[in-house]
Amino acid sequence: MSALERMLDEFASLSDQAGAQRQAAAQRLRIVGLPARGEDSWRYANLRALDQVRSFLPGAAGALPLPLPPALPGYLRLVLIDGRLHREHSSAEATTPDLLRGATALPELEAVSDQRLGLIASVFAADPLELVINAPLALEIVSLSSAAAPASYLNLALRVAPGVDCRLVERHLGGPEDLRLVCVRLGLTLAEGAIVHHQRLFAVSAQALLFDTLQAHLAAHAEYRLCQVAMGGSTARSTAEVRLQGVGATLDWQALAAGAGPQVNDTMLTVLHEAPATRSQQLFRGLSNQRAHVACNADTRVAAAARGARVTQSLRGLLDGAGAEVDLRPQLTIDTDDIQARHGATTGKLDEDLLFYLQARGLDLDAARALLKSAFLGEVLGSIEPEALRREAQRATALRLGDDALAEPWQ
Amino acid sequence: MSVPVLQVENLHVSVAGTPVLRGITLSVPAGEVHAIMGPNGSGKSTLAHVLAGRPGYEVTAGRAQFDGMNLLAMAPEARARAGLFLGFQYPVEIPGVNNAYLLKAALNARRRERGEPEIDAFDFLNAVRAQMRAMQMDENLLTRGVNEGFSGGEKKRNEILQMLVLEPRLALLDETDSGLDIDALRLVGHGINSLRSPQRSVVLVTHYQRLLEYVVPDRVHVLARGRILRSGDRELALELERRGYDWLLEEAAAA
Repeated sequence: MSALERMLDEFASLSDQAGAQRQAAAQRLRIVGLPARGEDSWRYANLRALDQVRSFLPGAAGALPLPLPPALPGYLRLVLIDGRLHREHSSAEATTPDLLRGATALPELEAVSDQRLGLIASVFAADPLELVINAPLALEIVSLSSAAAPASYLNLALRVAPGVDCRLVERHLGGPEDLRLVCVRLGLTLAEGAIVHHQRLFAVSAQALLFDTLQAHLAAHAEYRLCQVAMGGSTARSTAEVRLQGVGATLDWQALAAGAGPQVNDTMLTVLHEAPATRSQQLFRGLSNQRAHVACNADTRVAAAARGARVTQSLRGLLDGAGAEVDLRPQLTIDTDDIQARHGATTGKLDEDLLFYLQARGLDLDAARALLKSAFLGEVLGSIEPEALRREAQRATALRLGDDALAEPWQ
Repeated sequence: MSVPVLQVENLHVSVAGTPVLRGITLSVPAGEVHAIMGPNGSGKSTLAHVLAGRPGYEVTAGRAQFDGMNLLAMAPEARARAGLFLGFQYPVEIPGVNNAYLLKAALNARRRERGEPEIDAFDFLNAVRAQMRAMQMDENLLTRGVNEGFSGGEKKRNEILQMLVLEPRLALLDETDSGLDIDALRLVGHGINSLRSPQRSVVLVTHYQRLLEYVVPDRVHVLARGRILRSGDRELALELERRGYDWLLEEAAAA
């Protein structure tokens, strides 16, 4: 039986299939099926790992599976365990009906790119949530995966009202448990002039399968500043689609993906410039240790209507091991003459000249390597705020790469 | 007689099977400044880099001692910690590695080697700032990535700054004067002179004698085709300035 058949059978067996939306998502999944590795945008993802998931059923509401990280000063907090809201550990102000709503109103965003894995979260997330942000807000979402559940789902939509400034931190954490599926679907709608600073840290267990699907729609003059640090699971795929629909809408996307051992960490970004004077800056840094495979496919499409658009794309990969692989695919499709676009993609090993320079200043080879890797990672990590979150992201990176030296401050 | 700081004997070095140094013998006592001059491709930079431990060079014969230690058996970082400083002709840019961080890490590596505690952050900054003022360097350079976006002159001054802070026992300066304007040259010369002491030695690798107007060498060696053709005092550098290298090469060929 295929993974898709098992999914649909298990969904059919659920007594609680509340919400027409989940039913509709299951129906849609039945029709479109799961992506396959032969498809171009999935060529680097390890989809066969889905066959190893012993059950797709979400866990029941449970206790905290691991200690919560210290709260970020000035931020409200939502805590979710296996995708279910945990009110006891959430800020009361973050769970008011004005801000947080249940599943019934959850909007489906029209997608151009492949969102099929996001459908899995739409089908199985037992507690889909919608945040309606009408006033300035600093919010952290801590999403934990418990050992009791074979699969953990989060299905969340955010709607940010016109002109509202929102700072959003999203942490996905897991303990060192066995193979499990962590599936996240996030939809954001930024109204005119809305500004969202969004920082995402994925530090799930090293054995987990992580599938993350994000969509963002930006109206005129909205700004979306996303910084994402993905440390896997054994298999990770992050799929993001950002549509710049309004005049002057701006995306600043920074992503760091690191892999070690046999890990596969795949990132797919689709940016659609659909209106005049839209801007996007895309920066990806991928570090592959040992036999890991890190990939980034950045697909930017500039429509004929997007006159005066500006696109900057910088993709870089660093190889640190004989079997390490990094695949970078910058793609730019332009249907207008009036555009400024720059893009570059490079992959290489640690520079021998830089290593010798550091050794000639007294640093041993391991310290020199760690310092250069820290500098590489720091291009993304350095922009994370507040500092406590940056340190956490740095520690998670060091842990995943098995290099304590990377946890040291390098600045 | 005391042991020279640097003693090189019959050093032969090949790169990818091609001999580059063909029997260098050189002795640099404590407190002296030696200049190594020579035409392009003579092996000057190779000598500096081999002594600093750069990978990619094969020592096929000879030996080199640093304060009596077998230099060629030491890792590059061990040489640095023991007090050997290489000033690079082309200092690399290392984006993301803070200039001050590297300088402090390098200094503490030296201090640990000497059994001293790590330097206090306040004392470190005070010392570095004082040296930066002497080198007329903008303090903002301290917080930038190592040499990142520095001009050619700033990179060379940064090398001298590192040397001044690290206070090496032996400084090998590889064409530190190249690409410098006259004011920067004077500053670099002043920086090198400020380091001169009976405990330290300096080896200046240079094409031209103009740096030697500011840093007066005790000895001058002419290196060509992988060998030292002649050694002398400062007058030799002045003669080279007047006559070039060809006459020495012709003499060597005739011999």
